[in-house]
Amino acid sequence: MRKFIVNVNGNSYEVEVEEVGGATSTQAPSVIPVAAPASKPVEAAPAPAAKAEPVKPAPAPAPAAQGSEGAVKVTAPMPGTILDVKVSVGQQVTKGTVLAILEAMKMENEILAPQDATIATVNVSNGQQVNTGDVLFTLN
Amino acid sequence: MATFDKLNDLRTRRENLKKGGGDKRIAKQHETGKKTARERLAALLDEGSFVEVDAFVETRSIDFDMQKKKIPGDGVVTGYGTIDGRLVFVASQDFTVIGGSLGEMHAKKITKVMDMAMKMGAPFISINDSGGARIEEGIDALSGFGDIFMRNTLASGVIPQISVIMGPCAGGAVYSPAITDFIFMVDKTSHMFITGPSVIKAVTGEEVTFDELGGAMTHNTISGVAHFECSDEDSCFEQVKKLISYLPDNNLSDPEIIISNDDFNRLEPDLNTIIPDDANKPYDMLDVIKKVTDDGDFFEIQAGFAKNIIIGFGRFGGKTAGIIANQPKVNAGVLDVDASDKAARFVRFCDAFNIPLVTFTDVPGYLPGVNQEHSGIIRHGAKLLYAFSEATVPKVNIIVRKAYGGAYIAMNSKHLGCDMVFAWPTAEIAVMGPEGAANIIFRKEIAQSDNPAEFRKQKIEEYREKLANPYIAAARGYVDDVIEPATTRQRIISALDMLAGKRETRPSKKHGNIPL
Repeated sequence: MRKFIVNVNGNSYEVEVEEVGGATSTQAPSVIPVAAPASKPVEAAPAPAAKAEPVKPAPAPAPAAQGSEGAVKVTAPMPGTILDVKVSVGQQVTKGTVLAILEAMKMENEILAPQDATIATVNVSNGQQVNTGDVLFTLN
Repeated sequence: MATFDKLNDLRTRRENLKKGGGDKRIAKQHETGKKTARERLAALLDEGSFVEVDAFVETRSIDFDMQKKKIPGDGVVTGYGTIDGRLVFVASQDFTVIGGSLGEMHAKKITKVMDMAMKMGAPFISINDSGGARIEEGIDALSGFGDIFMRNTLASGVIPQISVIMGPCAGGAVYSPAITDFIFMVDKTSHMFITGPSVIKAVTGEEVTFDELGGAMTHNTISGVAHFECSDEDSCFEQVKKLISYLPDNNLSDPEIIISNDDFNRLEPDLNTIIPDDANKPYDMLDVIKKVTDDGDFFEIQAGFAKNIIIGFGRFGGKTAGIIANQPKVNAGVLDVDASDKAARFVRFCDAFNIPLVTFTDVPGYLPGVNQEHSGIIRHGAKLLYAFSEATVPKVNIIVRKAYGGAYIAMNSKHLGCDMVFAWPTAEIAVMGPEGAANIIFRKEIAQSDNPAEFRKQKIEEYREKLANPYIAAARGYVDDVIEPATTRQRIISALDMLAGKRETRPSKKHGNIPL
């Protein structure tokens, strides 16, 4: 169970999202019932997220809904699995800070901050499969 | 005119030529952080060594009232000089003289010094700062470009050619640097592109700044067009001089031997522990390289592009070597389209100029993915195999850790004619990684097993123990020796020493057909 603060029209809602193991594209819509109990306006949250990443497992859309996207996108250089997300939203990072570990080609690859910045969004979570070019983080 | 007056006339003429486009334009050039053409030559060459050729050349064009314009030196300063006492030929475009635009005679001045460089067998350095073809001279300007490209191509592999971009270099002008061996660019002040931002906007609607489109950063990270990104002109010339120090004058000579105080037999115990116990953990291959070269010196080329492979020059026992190494720290050190291109061209440069190749291998394979396949990884990856196979210079390979499948073959393997292959005891030389191999070989058994996960793990371990080591390859002679990592430096130096007299010939042919 992960907690997120969602801002909708100026109201902030606390949302609990449960990670569904081995989720596939057919299971993606399950995010709606999970998010819904929090409060009604929150329904807005899955919609843009679903648009952005319709086939991602449940945990992905939740962070995407939080905060606004940063100007700088950090993307996956190779297809692989996110082993460890090392930063959170709002965190200050300097150029070269390790943002996450991406296991790809049987190697734990460090995903580094391209510049000094603040983390605007974290678009992935531990255990998530990513493809080349998928946005992992956005920075400001 | 009396002799005295004739002498004065000569002096006046020369003074006028040296002023280029005049004080106002020179001031403008300085404002933007740029030196003038002559100041640049002074910064690049040994003090007082520059000898100008063709200072009095003028345009022959009379169209559009060209004869009324003053174009000192026709917008380019050419000649020769020395760098650390070694002869080089130079051309430096003068942006203060009608934008350094290239006309017929401007091109003729450049081709003249290129021809001299070829005859004398000395490097050619071109400093580019030009608005492009001189429109007034029409087809004669185009002819000039063509003449330069032709000579760049003929000189390729005969003398080292270096392009230093210190201003605009657009349109056809980019193809001269593109054919040369190394391109230097200066941050903010240099740009290279085929069509500029305004044309792009008009045609495709895309909005892009000069810097984003063709700045030093772009060409040193995204496109791979340039090889060096320098913060300012002075540091750029220092880099050019350093590069020259590693290179021979031409394809028939050897690079200068610069002996250091570093012991040939220096042991490096740190290398015994540099490889992590966990095969999935990365480490920095640059650390390995810097521990074995003379004085830890390594001159990296294209440091910002395709960082999963490292290329550059270092010295072993005073002699230049071209070093190619996989970088496990970046994208697991995979071979992809860009990495293959980067390494293959460097291998061919070294082979052309008698520079031995030393490789450090830790490669998990070629990068899987639709994008890579559709980008032509077959075609690009083939370049690396081709380049290593074709190279007849001494070739030494140190297999540090992973050497799997086709990538193992491509990375300077025995099969492609490597002279001495050393493996560290941490080497895993096999057709593929243990995980993948176990999945395929024991697919049925794993499926039928009571506890597939446990059984699979067991088989992976079994495979690792049995096959993922250097001894199978060593048993067949594909690895010449398994060495203690600490002794790597002395083994490389000893191998290169043994190989110094290597002679290997290839079937006589016009040229091969490298996949491009």
